[in-house]
Amino acid sequence: MISQSVSLLHPFQCHILSHRLGSSMASHTISISSPLPTSSSLRSIASGSYRTNRNLSFCNHLRPSFHFHISLDPHRTARLRPPTVSAALKNLSESEPVAVPTDPQEVPAKFPPDSGVYAVYDSNNDLQFIGMSRNIAASVAGHRNSLPDLCCSVKVGVVDEADRAVLTEAWKSWMEEHIRTTGNVPPGNQSGNSTWVPARQQAPRKKPDLRLTPGRHVQLTVPLEDLIDRLVKENKVVAFIKGSRSAPLCGFSQRVVGILESEGIDYESIDVLDEEYNYGLRETLKRYSNWPTFPQIFVNGELVGGCDILTSMYEKGELAGMLKK
Amino acid sequence: MGSRAANAMLSRAQRIKSKLQSALEASLLEIDDVSHQHAGHAAVRASGSAGETHFNVKVVSAKFDGKTLVNRHRMVYDALTDELQSGLHALSIVAKTPQEIAKK
Repeated sequence: MISQSVSLLHPFQCHILSHRLGSSMASHTISISSPLPTSSSLRSIASGSYRTNRNLSFCNHLRPSFHFHISLDPHRTARLRPPTVSAALKNLSESEPVAVPTDPQEVPAKFPPDSGVYAVYDSNNDLQFIGMSRNIAASVAGHRNSLPDLCCSVKVGVVDEADRAVLTEAWKSWMEEHIRTTGNVPPGNQSGNSTWVPARQQAPRKKPDLRLTPGRHVQLTVPLEDLIDRLVKENKVVAFIKGSRSAPLCGFSQRVVGILESEGIDYESIDVLDEEYNYGLRETLKRYSNWPTFPQIFVNGELVGGCDILTSMYEKGELAGMLKK
Repeated sequence: MGSRAANAMLSRAQRIKSKLQSALEASLLEIDDVSHQHAGHAAVRASGSAGETHFNVKVVSAKFDGKTLVNRHRMVYDALTDELQSGLHALSIVAKTPQEIAKK
Protein backbone atom coordinates (compact mmCIF):
# COMPACT_ATOMS: atom_id res chain seq x y z
CA MET A 1 0.00 0.00 0.00
CA ILE A 2 1.18 3.43 -0.74
CA SER A 3 1.60 5.56 2.25
CA GLN A 4 1.88 9.18 1.56
CA SER A 5 1.68 12.23 3.67
CA VAL A 6 0.16 15.07 1.88
CA SER A 7 0.57 18.06 4.06
CA LEU A 8 -1.89 20.53 2.64
CA LEU A 9 -4.58 20.11 0.10
CA HIS A 10 -7.08 22.28 -1.62
CA PRO A 11 -9.94 22.96 -2.16
CA PHE A 12 -11.53 24.48 0.92
CA GLN A 13 -8.38 24.18 2.99
CA CYS A 14 -8.89 20.51 3.69
CA HIS A 15 -5.76 19.78 5.64
CA ILE A 16 -4.84 16.17 5.31
CA LEU A 17 -2.21 15.57 7.89
CA SER A 18 -1.38 11.98 7.46
CA HIS A 19 -2.86 9.79 4.93
CA ARG A 20 -2.80 6.10 4.36
CA LEU A 21 -3.95 5.06 0.99
CA GLY A 22 -5.67 1.77 1.01
CA SER A 23 -8.66 0.02 -0.28
CA SER A 24 -10.62 0.50 2.87
CA MET A 25 -11.85 3.99 3.46
CA ALA A 26 -12.32 3.45 7.14
CA SER A 27 -8.61 3.19 7.76
CA HIS A 28 -7.92 6.79 6.90
CA THR A 29 -6.95 9.26 9.49
CA ILE A 30 -7.83 12.57 8.17
CA SER A 31 -8.42 15.75 9.98
CA ILE A 32 -10.20 18.58 8.37
CA SER A 33 -9.87 22.05 9.73
CA SER A 34 -11.22 25.32 8.59
CA PRO A 35 -8.65 28.04 8.99
CA LEU A 36 -9.08 31.75 8.58
CA PRO A 37 -9.67 31.96 4.84
CA THR A 38 -12.75 29.89 5.38
CA SER A 39 -14.27 32.29 7.84
CA SER A 40 -13.59 35.28 5.68
CA SER A 41 -15.36 33.69 2.78
CA LEU A 42 -18.11 32.83 5.20
CA ARG A 43 -18.39 36.51 6.00
CA SER A 44 -18.50 37.48 2.40
CA ILE A 45 -21.22 34.98 1.74
CA ALA A 46 -23.13 36.04 4.79
CA SER A 47 -23.05 39.56 3.58
CA GLY A 48 -24.56 38.21 0.44
CA SER A 49 -27.83 38.20 2.23
CA TYR A 50 -28.12 41.68 0.87
CA ARG A 51 -27.62 40.50 -2.62
CA THR A 52 -30.27 39.51 -4.99
CA ASN A 53 -30.98 36.00 -6.08
CA ARG A 54 -28.93 36.18 -9.20
CA ASN A 55 -25.80 36.21 -7.12
CA LEU A 56 -27.04 33.63 -4.68
CA SER A 57 -27.45 31.02 -7.35
CA PHE A 58 -23.71 31.09 -7.87
CA CYS A 59 -23.40 30.35 -4.20
CA ASN A 60 -24.17 26.74 -4.92
CA HIS A 61 -20.52 26.39 -5.72
CA LEU A 62 -18.89 24.34 -3.04
CA ARG A 63 -16.14 26.20 -1.25
CA PRO A 64 -15.12 26.60 2.38
CA SER A 65 -18.50 28.10 2.96
CA PHE A 66 -20.11 24.93 1.74
CA HIS A 67 -20.94 23.57 5.13
CA PHE A 68 -23.38 26.19 6.11
CA HIS A 69 -25.56 25.66 3.10
CA ILE A 70 -26.65 22.43 4.65
CA SER A 71 -29.53 22.20 7.02
CA LEU A 72 -28.61 19.03 8.75
CA ASP A 73 -31.06 16.25 8.38
CA PRO A 74 -31.81 15.18 11.96
CA HIS A 75 -32.11 11.59 10.87
CA ARG A 76 -28.69 11.56 9.37
CA THR A 77 -26.94 13.17 12.25
CA ALA A 78 -28.46 10.67 14.62
CA ARG A 79 -26.84 7.82 12.79
CA LEU A 80 -23.29 9.21 12.77
CA ARG A 81 -21.94 6.20 10.97
CA PRO A 82 -18.54 6.51 9.32
CA PRO A 83 -19.30 8.03 5.96
CA THR A 84 -18.97 5.69 3.01
CA VAL A 85 -18.50 6.55 -0.57
CA SER A 86 -21.68 6.33 -2.50
CA ALA A 87 -21.70 2.99 -4.24
CA ALA A 88 -22.87 4.61 -7.42
CA LEU A 89 -19.75 6.73 -7.78
CA LYS A 90 -17.45 5.48 -10.47
CA ASN A 91 -13.73 5.66 -10.13
CA LEU A 92 -12.00 8.61 -11.64
CA SER A 93 -10.39 6.45 -14.28
CA GLU A 94 -13.67 4.83 -15.17
CA SER A 95 -15.48 8.09 -15.68
CA GLU A 96 -15.80 9.59 -19.09
CA PRO A 97 -14.72 13.16 -19.61
CA VAL A 98 -17.29 15.52 -21.04
CA ALA A 99 -16.12 18.34 -23.26
CA VAL A 100 -17.06 21.74 -21.90
CA PRO A 101 -18.96 23.80 -24.46
CA THR A 102 -17.48 27.19 -25.24
CA ASP A 103 -20.90 28.78 -25.07
CA PRO A 104 -21.80 29.09 -21.37
CA GLN A 105 -25.47 28.74 -22.21
CA GLU A 106 -24.88 25.20 -23.32
CA VAL A 107 -23.30 24.09 -20.08
CA PRO A 108 -26.56 23.16 -18.34
CA ALA A 109 -27.36 20.83 -21.20
CA LYS A 110 -24.16 18.89 -20.74
CA PHE A 111 -23.72 18.95 -17.01
CA PRO A 112 -26.17 18.09 -14.25
CA PRO A 113 -27.10 20.71 -11.67
CA ASP A 114 -26.56 18.06 -9.05
CA SER A 115 -24.20 17.73 -6.17
CA GLY A 116 -21.14 15.62 -6.57
CA VAL A 117 -17.49 15.66 -7.50
CA TYR A 118 -15.86 16.75 -10.70
CA ALA A 119 -12.41 16.67 -12.24
CA VAL A 120 -11.28 19.36 -14.64
CA TYR A 121 -8.88 18.68 -17.50
CA ASP A 122 -7.10 21.21 -19.66
CA SER A 123 -6.55 21.12 -23.39
CA ASN A 124 -3.64 18.68 -22.92
CA ASN A 125 -5.89 16.37 -20.98
CA ASP A 126 -3.96 17.02 -17.83
CA LEU A 127 -5.93 17.01 -14.64
CA GLN A 128 -5.95 20.50 -13.21
CA PHE A 129 -8.39 20.37 -10.38
CA ILE A 130 -10.74 18.11 -8.47
CA GLY A 131 -13.63 19.83 -6.84
CA MET A 132 -16.86 19.13 -5.09
CA SER A 133 -20.02 21.06 -5.53
CA ARG A 134 -23.65 21.38 -4.75
CA ASN A 135 -24.32 22.25 -8.32
CA ILE A 136 -21.84 20.77 -10.75
CA ALA A 137 -23.25 22.60 -13.74
CA ALA A 138 -22.89 25.96 -12.04
CA SER A 139 -19.37 25.18 -10.90
CA VAL A 140 -18.29 24.05 -14.34
CA ALA A 141 -19.84 27.12 -15.93
CA GLY A 142 -18.01 29.31 -13.48
CA HIS A 143 -14.67 27.64 -14.11
CA ARG A 144 -15.15 27.76 -17.86
CA ASN A 145 -15.88 31.42 -17.58
CA SER A 146 -12.87 32.39 -15.51
CA LEU A 147 -10.36 29.75 -16.63
CA PRO A 148 -11.24 28.79 -20.20
CA ASP A 149 -7.78 27.44 -20.99
CA LEU A 150 -7.72 25.15 -18.01
CA CYS A 151 -11.26 23.93 -18.23
CA CYS A 152 -11.71 21.97 -21.43
CA SER A 153 -13.27 18.74 -20.32
CA VAL A 154 -14.70 17.57 -17.05
CA LYS A 155 -15.37 14.22 -15.51
CA VAL A 156 -18.46 14.19 -13.40
CA GLY A 157 -19.38 12.03 -10.46
CA VAL A 158 -22.86 12.76 -9.21
CA VAL A 159 -23.32 11.97 -5.56
CA ASP A 160 -26.94 11.69 -4.64
CA GLU A 161 -26.74 12.09 -0.94
CA ALA A 162 -25.63 15.68 -0.66
CA ASP A 163 -24.45 15.19 2.87
CA ARG A 164 -21.19 17.01 3.40
CA ALA A 165 -19.44 13.97 4.80
CA VAL A 166 -20.48 11.76 1.91
CA LEU A 167 -19.48 14.35 -0.63
CA THR A 168 -16.14 14.82 1.05
CA GLU A 169 -15.54 11.10 0.96
CA ALA A 170 -16.31 11.02 -2.71
CA TRP A 171 -13.95 13.88 -3.35
CA LYS A 172 -11.26 12.18 -1.34
CA SER A 173 -11.67 8.94 -3.22
CA TRP A 174 -11.07 10.66 -6.51
CA MET A 175 -8.18 12.63 -5.10
CA GLU A 176 -6.56 9.54 -3.69
CA GLU A 177 -7.04 7.65 -6.88
CA HIS A 178 -5.34 10.38 -8.81
CA ILE A 179 -2.47 10.60 -6.38
CA ARG A 180 -2.11 6.84 -6.46
CA THR A 181 -1.91 6.69 -10.21
CA THR A 182 0.16 9.78 -10.89
CA GLY A 183 1.91 10.51 -7.62
CA ASN A 184 0.82 14.13 -7.83
CA VAL A 185 -1.72 16.46 -6.33
CA PRO A 186 -3.59 18.31 -9.07
CA PRO A 187 -2.10 21.81 -9.47
CA GLY A 188 -5.37 23.52 -8.66
CA ASN A 189 -5.68 21.62 -5.40
CA GLN A 190 -2.29 22.45 -4.06
CA SER A 191 -2.06 24.48 -0.94
CA GLY A 192 -2.08 28.19 -1.52
CA ASN A 193 -3.57 27.88 -4.96
CA SER A 194 -6.72 29.89 -5.13
CA THR A 195 -7.08 29.86 -8.90
CA TRP A 196 -10.26 27.88 -8.73
CA VAL A 197 -11.94 29.80 -5.99
CA PRO A 198 -14.69 31.89 -7.55
CA ALA A 199 -13.71 35.54 -7.88
CA ARG A 200 -16.62 36.68 -5.80
CA GLN A 201 -15.42 34.78 -2.79
CA GLN A 202 -11.98 36.24 -3.19
CA ALA A 203 -13.44 39.71 -3.30
CA PRO A 204 -12.23 42.00 -0.59
CA ARG A 205 -14.58 42.63 2.22
CA LYS A 206 -16.86 45.59 2.11
CA LYS A 207 -15.27 48.92 1.49
CA PRO A 208 -14.06 50.59 4.67
CA ASP A 209 -16.01 53.58 5.91
CA LEU A 210 -14.62 56.98 5.04
CA ARG A 211 -13.19 59.17 7.73
CA LEU A 212 -13.54 62.89 7.66
CA THR A 213 -10.44 63.73 9.63
CA PRO A 214 -7.16 62.05 10.57
CA GLY A 215 -8.18 62.07 14.22
CA ARG A 216 -9.10 64.36 17.02
CA HIS A 217 -5.56 65.17 17.88
CA VAL A 218 -5.09 66.82 14.50
CA GLN A 219 -6.16 70.43 14.26
CA LEU A 220 -8.51 71.10 11.38
CA THR A 221 -7.33 73.77 9.00
CA VAL A 222 -10.61 73.76 7.19
CA PRO A 223 -14.10 73.99 8.72
CA LEU A 224 -15.94 70.69 9.08
CA GLU A 225 -18.72 71.98 6.83
CA ASP A 226 -16.22 72.35 4.03
CA LEU A 227 -15.00 68.81 4.52
CA ILE A 228 -18.58 67.56 4.37
CA ASP A 229 -19.30 69.66 1.34
CA ARG A 230 -16.25 68.37 -0.47
CA LEU A 231 -17.05 64.80 0.47
CA VAL A 232 -20.61 64.82 -0.85
CA LYS A 233 -19.59 66.59 -4.02
CA GLU A 234 -16.65 64.37 -4.84
CA ASN A 235 -18.51 61.11 -4.37
CA LYS A 236 -21.61 60.13 -6.18
CA VAL A 237 -23.40 58.39 -3.34
CA VAL A 238 -22.61 59.16 0.28
CA ALA A 239 -24.41 57.68 3.26
CA PHE A 240 -23.96 59.16 6.73
CA ILE A 241 -24.94 56.33 9.02
CA LYS A 242 -24.81 55.32 12.62
CA GLY A 243 -22.17 52.68 12.96
CA SER A 244 -20.16 51.18 10.15
CA ARG A 245 -21.52 49.68 7.01
CA SER A 246 -20.50 46.24 8.18
CA ALA A 247 -22.06 46.80 11.59
CA PRO A 248 -24.71 49.50 11.57
CA LEU A 249 -25.82 50.56 15.04
CA CYS A 250 -29.33 51.66 14.19
CA GLY A 251 -32.20 49.97 12.44
CA PHE A 252 -32.73 52.81 9.99
CA SER A 253 -29.06 52.90 9.08
CA GLN A 254 -29.09 49.16 8.67
CA ARG A 255 -31.97 49.37 6.28
CA VAL A 256 -30.20 51.99 4.22
CA VAL A 257 -27.05 49.89 4.00
CA GLY A 258 -29.17 46.91 3.06
CA ILE A 259 -30.84 48.74 0.21
CA LEU A 260 -27.61 50.18 -1.16
CA GLU A 261 -25.89 46.80 -0.97
CA SER A 262 -28.74 44.92 -2.58
CA GLU A 263 -28.81 47.34 -5.48
CA GLY A 264 -25.09 46.88 -5.88
CA ILE A 265 -24.56 50.61 -5.58
CA ASP A 266 -21.06 51.91 -5.08
CA TYR A 267 -21.31 54.26 -2.12
CA GLU A 268 -19.22 55.85 0.59
CA SER A 269 -20.28 55.40 4.18
CA ILE A 270 -19.40 57.61 7.12
CA ASP A 271 -19.99 56.65 10.72
CA VAL A 272 -21.49 59.67 12.46
CA LEU A 273 -20.96 58.03 15.82
CA ASP A 274 -17.21 57.84 15.38
CA GLU A 275 -15.91 60.34 17.89
CA GLU A 276 -12.30 59.87 16.92
CA TYR A 277 -12.31 60.49 13.21
CA ASN A 278 -15.63 62.23 12.76
CA TYR A 279 -15.77 64.32 15.86
CA GLY A 280 -18.46 66.98 15.69
CA LEU A 281 -19.93 65.53 12.53
CA ARG A 282 -23.40 64.91 13.92
CA GLU A 283 -24.17 68.50 14.84
CA THR A 284 -22.37 70.02 11.87
CA LEU A 285 -24.10 67.76 9.41
CA LYS A 286 -27.53 68.55 10.82
CA ARG A 287 -26.84 72.20 10.16
CA TYR A 288 -25.27 71.60 6.78
CA SER A 289 -28.16 69.51 5.50
CA ASN A 290 -30.89 71.27 7.41
CA TRP A 291 -31.94 67.78 8.45
CA PRO A 292 -32.21 66.67 12.04
CA THR A 293 -31.85 62.91 11.84
CA PHE A 294 -29.66 60.07 10.65
CA PRO A 295 -29.07 58.30 8.37
CA GLN A 296 -28.66 60.84 5.61
CA ILE A 297 -28.08 59.90 2.02
CA PHE A 298 -26.54 62.25 -0.52
CA VAL A 299 -26.49 61.71 -4.26
CA ASN A 300 -24.56 64.01 -6.57
CA GLY A 301 -23.99 66.42 -3.73
CA GLU A 302 -27.62 66.74 -2.73
CA LEU A 303 -29.50 65.37 0.19
CA VAL A 304 -31.91 62.73 -1.00
CA GLY A 305 -33.30 62.13 2.44
CA GLY A 306 -33.28 59.56 5.16
CA CYS A 307 -34.31 55.97 5.47
CA ASP A 308 -38.00 56.57 4.65
CA ILE A 309 -37.28 58.34 1.42
CA LEU A 310 -34.64 55.86 0.31
CA THR A 311 -36.98 52.99 1.08
CA SER A 312 -39.78 54.62 -0.86
CA MET A 313 -37.54 55.16 -3.87
CA TYR A 314 -36.25 51.62 -3.68
CA GLU A 315 -39.75 50.19 -3.56
CA LYS A 316 -40.80 52.28 -6.51
CA GLY A 317 -37.74 51.28 -8.47
CA GLU A 318 -36.51 54.85 -8.65
CA LEU A 319 -33.04 54.24 -7.32
CA ALA A 320 -31.47 52.98 -10.53
CA GLY A 321 -32.81 55.93 -12.46
CA MET A 322 -31.56 58.45 -9.97
CA LEU A 323 -28.10 57.02 -10.07
CA LYS A 324 -27.83 57.25 -13.80
CA LYS A 325 -27.96 61.03 -13.81
CA MET B 1 -52.69 76.40 20.68
CA GLY B 2 -52.27 77.79 24.16
CA SER B 3 -49.26 78.86 26.13
CA ARG B 4 -46.05 76.92 26.50
CA ALA B 5 -46.96 75.97 30.03
CA ALA B 6 -50.17 74.38 28.86
CA ASN B 7 -48.31 72.55 26.12
CA ALA B 8 -45.86 71.05 28.56
CA MET B 9 -48.64 69.08 30.15
CA LEU B 10 -49.59 67.46 26.88
CA SER B 11 -47.72 64.35 25.79
CA ARG B 12 -45.19 64.70 23.05
CA ALA B 13 -47.55 62.97 20.69
CA GLN B 14 -50.16 65.60 21.37
CA ARG B 15 -47.66 68.39 20.97
CA ILE B 16 -46.48 66.97 17.67
CA LYS B 17 -50.05 66.76 16.52
CA SER B 18 -50.90 70.31 17.38
CA LYS B 19 -47.72 71.75 15.90
CA LEU B 20 -48.11 69.92 12.65
CA GLN B 21 -51.74 70.84 12.53
CA SER B 22 -51.06 74.53 12.72
CA ALA B 23 -47.93 74.58 10.57
CA LEU B 24 -49.20 72.37 7.79
CA GLU B 25 -52.98 72.75 7.96
CA ALA B 26 -53.14 69.01 7.79
CA SER B 27 -56.30 67.34 6.64
CA LEU B 28 -55.14 64.10 8.16
CA LEU B 29 -52.74 63.46 11.00
CA GLU B 30 -51.75 60.16 12.53
CA ILE B 31 -49.11 60.09 15.22
CA ASP B 32 -47.83 56.91 16.85
CA ASP B 33 -45.29 56.67 19.61
CA VAL B 34 -43.13 53.68 18.67
CA SER B 35 -40.37 54.32 21.15
CA HIS B 36 -40.89 50.87 22.65
CA GLN B 37 -39.77 49.35 19.34
CA HIS B 38 -36.40 50.95 19.88
CA ALA B 39 -36.08 50.07 23.51
CA GLY B 40 -32.39 49.19 23.37
CA HIS B 41 -31.54 52.55 21.92
CA ALA B 42 -29.24 54.86 23.86
CA ALA B 43 -31.54 57.84 23.36
CA VAL B 44 -34.51 55.91 24.68
CA ARG B 45 -32.67 54.94 27.81
CA ALA B 46 -31.50 58.51 28.33
CA SER B 47 -35.02 59.88 28.19
CA GLY B 48 -36.03 57.74 31.11
CA SER B 49 -39.32 55.95 31.36
CA ALA B 50 -41.20 58.55 29.38
CA GLY B 51 -39.99 57.18 26.06
CA GLU B 52 -41.37 59.55 23.49
CA THR B 53 -38.27 59.37 21.36
CA HIS B 54 -39.38 57.61 18.19
CA PHE B 55 -42.58 58.39 16.34
CA ASN B 56 -44.37 57.38 13.18
CA VAL B 57 -46.07 60.35 11.59
CA LYS B 58 -48.53 60.36 8.74
CA VAL B 59 -49.49 63.77 7.42
CA VAL B 60 -51.80 64.72 4.59
CA SER B 61 -51.60 68.35 3.58
CA ALA B 62 -52.21 70.41 0.49
CA LYS B 63 -49.07 72.34 1.33
CA PHE B 64 -47.00 69.36 0.18
CA ASP B 65 -48.17 69.80 -3.36
CA GLY B 66 -45.35 70.23 -5.83
CA LYS B 67 -42.69 69.55 -3.22
CA THR B 68 -40.10 66.80 -3.31
CA LEU B 69 -40.08 64.21 -0.55
CA VAL B 70 -37.02 65.79 0.97
CA ASN B 71 -38.69 69.14 1.21
CA ARG B 72 -41.91 67.71 2.57
CA HIS B 73 -39.98 65.99 5.32
CA ARG B 74 -38.11 69.22 5.98
CA MET B 75 -41.39 71.02 6.50
CA VAL B 76 -42.37 68.43 9.08
CA TYR B 77 -39.02 68.65 10.81
CA ASP B 78 -39.12 72.46 10.85
CA ALA B 79 -42.46 72.45 12.59
CA LEU B 80 -40.99 70.20 15.26
CA THR B 81 -37.67 71.93 15.94
CA ASP B 82 -38.37 72.35 19.63
CA GLU B 83 -39.31 68.72 20.03
CA LEU B 84 -36.19 67.59 18.20
CA GLN B 85 -34.08 69.60 20.58
CA SER B 86 -35.80 68.24 23.65
CA GLY B 87 -35.50 64.50 23.24
CA LEU B 88 -37.37 63.63 20.06
CA HIS B 89 -34.91 61.38 18.35
CA ALA B 90 -36.39 59.98 15.18
CA LEU B 91 -39.42 60.30 12.96
CA SER B 92 -40.70 57.98 10.31
CA ILE B 93 -42.62 60.27 8.02
CA VAL B 94 -45.30 59.65 5.45
CA ALA B 95 -46.16 62.96 3.79
CA LYS B 96 -48.85 63.03 1.15
CA THR B 97 -51.12 65.49 -0.56
CA PRO B 98 -54.91 65.01 -0.53
CA GLN B 99 -54.83 64.07 -4.22
CA GLU B 100 -52.25 61.36 -3.61
CA ILE B 101 -54.37 59.86 -0.86
CA ALA B 102 -57.47 59.94 -2.99
CA LYS B 103 -55.71 58.08 -5.78
CA LYS B 104 -55.07 54.99 -3.66
